[in-house]
Amino acid sequence: MSLIFNVLLLVLSVSLVTFILQLSQQINGQLEKNIAPVDMVIGAKGSPLQLVLSSVLHIDSPTGNIPLGEVQKIQKHPFIKSAIPLCYGDNHQGYRIVGSKASFIAAYQGELESGKIFQKSFEVVAGSNVAQKLNLQMGSTFYSSHGLIASADVHKEHQFRVVGILKPTATVLDKLLITPMESVWETHHHTEAEPDNTASHPSHHNSHSNEEHPDHHQDESHEEDAHEHETEDHPDSEESEMDLEITALLVKFKNPVGLVQLPRFINEKTNMQAALPRLEIQRLEGFLGVGVKTVNSIALAVLLVSGLSILLSLARAIRERRQELALLRTYGLSTQKLLYMILLEGLFLAVLGYVLGWIIGRAAIGIASSQLESTFGYGLKVTGPEIIDFKLLGATLLIALIATMLASTSIFKLNISKILSDD
Amino acid sequence: MIKTEDLKFKYPSGESFDFKNIDLKKKEHLLVLGPSGVGKTTLLHLLSGILPASRGKITIDQTDITSLDRRSLDRFRGQNIGLIFQQYHYVRSLTVEENLKVRQQYPKKLKDQERRHALCERLGLTPLMDKFVFNLSQGQKQRLAIALGLIHQPKVVLADEPTSNLDDINCSKVIALLQEEARLCGSNLVIITHDQRIKEHFNSHLLL
Repeated sequence: MSLIFNVLLLVLSVSLVTFILQLSQQINGQLEKNIAPVDMVIGAKGSPLQLVLSSVLHIDSPTGNIPLGEVQKIQKHPFIKSAIPLCYGDNHQGYRIVGSKASFIAAYQGELESGKIFQKSFEVVAGSNVAQKLNLQMGSTFYSSHGLIASADVHKEHQFRVVGILKPTATVLDKLLITPMESVWETHHHTEAEPDNTASHPSHHNSHSNEEHPDHHQDESHEEDAHEHETEDHPDSEESEMDLEITALLVKFKNPVGLVQLPRFINEKTNMQAALPRLEIQRLEGFLGVGVKTVNSIALAVLLVSGLSILLSLARAIRERRQELALLRTYGLSTQKLLYMILLEGLFLAVLGYVLGWIIGRAAIGIASSQLESTFGYGLKVTGPEIIDFKLLGATLLIALIATMLASTSIFKLNISKILSDD
Repeated sequence: MIKTEDLKFKYPSGESFDFKNIDLKKKEHLLVLGPSGVGKTTLLHLLSGILPASRGKITIDQTDITSLDRRSLDRFRGQNIGLIFQQYHYVRSLTVEENLKVRQQYPKKLKDQERRHALCERLGLTPLMDKFVFNLSQGQKQRLAIALGLIHQPKVVLADEPTSNLDDINCSKVIALLQEEARLCGSNLVIITHDQRIKEHFNSHLLL
């Protein structure tokens, strides 16, 4: 009975450790993959973390919008290798519609499963996840809803049409609907006057009349900053471009010096902000890392406790079976053989506990995956055993080995004569 | 075949036993008689090597077992000595047949199924083969104990009070079985008892 309890304890600790390891590893891996194509992101002033979350990971609300003219000046900087504009505004059943260029898809190594890349306004390329969840086919059409969360506020003027569906990339592409920027601009050109109640969306509004904010919403303060300086910041932009806005610009540098120089320049000399995804994510991981470390140490402590309790219960089992062990000695088995048998038993329990724990850990990843997917649009993969799992198995076996060794010291001093003549 | 010289055992408590010399020829049987507390079981354990003698020499089949190291002694005992204990000892989690197999497994890897079945047939254990030992009656357990002591065809069979729990009829039966099986194996049989009933079955007696 106590042995079963011990194995359960081991199962619990192993499932905890493997679960946490997988979770942090996969989240890190996904973050890594998603921020890899972006060295710097430029957006409206506000929290740099929010800017990274919204424009690189596509999970938070944008900080606001920035004038396209302004952005185009920066884009010409010699350190910049590529720059991808992003334009937010609408969603389709909760999935974000991003206005961008084909280069956005290319940056994440997106490949077409079917169809083609958009060429005209209101053509849409759907990420694999969205296409699957919303059952979008080639030629499917839909109207967008305003804002970034599903709502009844549907723009009926323009119909989007799916012209391409992407293969799974395990990046943010999977959960996005990508369309030319013009689609977003055109949609909001007509609806600009409507009162907004959702996150910012780019709009074709008059930047000079900044006393009156059509985009009045939760990111108010950042927007105000952004709008207040618009007039003096781009007096010489082309008229048509001056009126257009984008939400963010994803920048890849040619030269790493750009990482040092450009963010400071943008943050100090313009009314926009530049954020470095890697830095922000590191900061975020710093906050979360404490939690991960805590849970990991708890799990390791449980592992040690289960090792200790296996030791105690094995020691008791050996004491209870000392008559049988003594009997086996009279059958000719040496002490070493008995030790070997007990070790085998201990290791068997350890392997059993580990395998069960590992399976439960992976099952938990599966459950967490569906939770995460409905919240963030990111799923986790239930993977086979990895190197770290084997290392952990090694550690578990080592603990079991030490516990069994300690527990079996008594068989060296087995007094066969006495044990076999006692009742 | 079995020879003891000047054998003495001293318990840590101070109690000590001196034993008369034993000298048995091949296949000879011996009954060691004596009341409780004269060191009968001690002598048996000394002969089987599970208790080290404080002084003296025990030679079994030309091997001085007092000079063997622990491991060799374990091996020697497993091969050459069959022990029948006063208390029934067996592996609880195994059936009758599995217990016999375990006894046959070591150390020679002698897995003679024919031997096992023939012996069980003679001892009336055949219908009990798949039962767990704790489900057996006293008499059945005693017969299993004999089987466990003899299955590996040892040179020496040492039995400790094999008849103390049995009635007169069963007592005679068990002694007859023991003598018969020992004779079939060509083993020496040493029985240690306080049971006067079996005196008449043996020619050579040793009084402690």
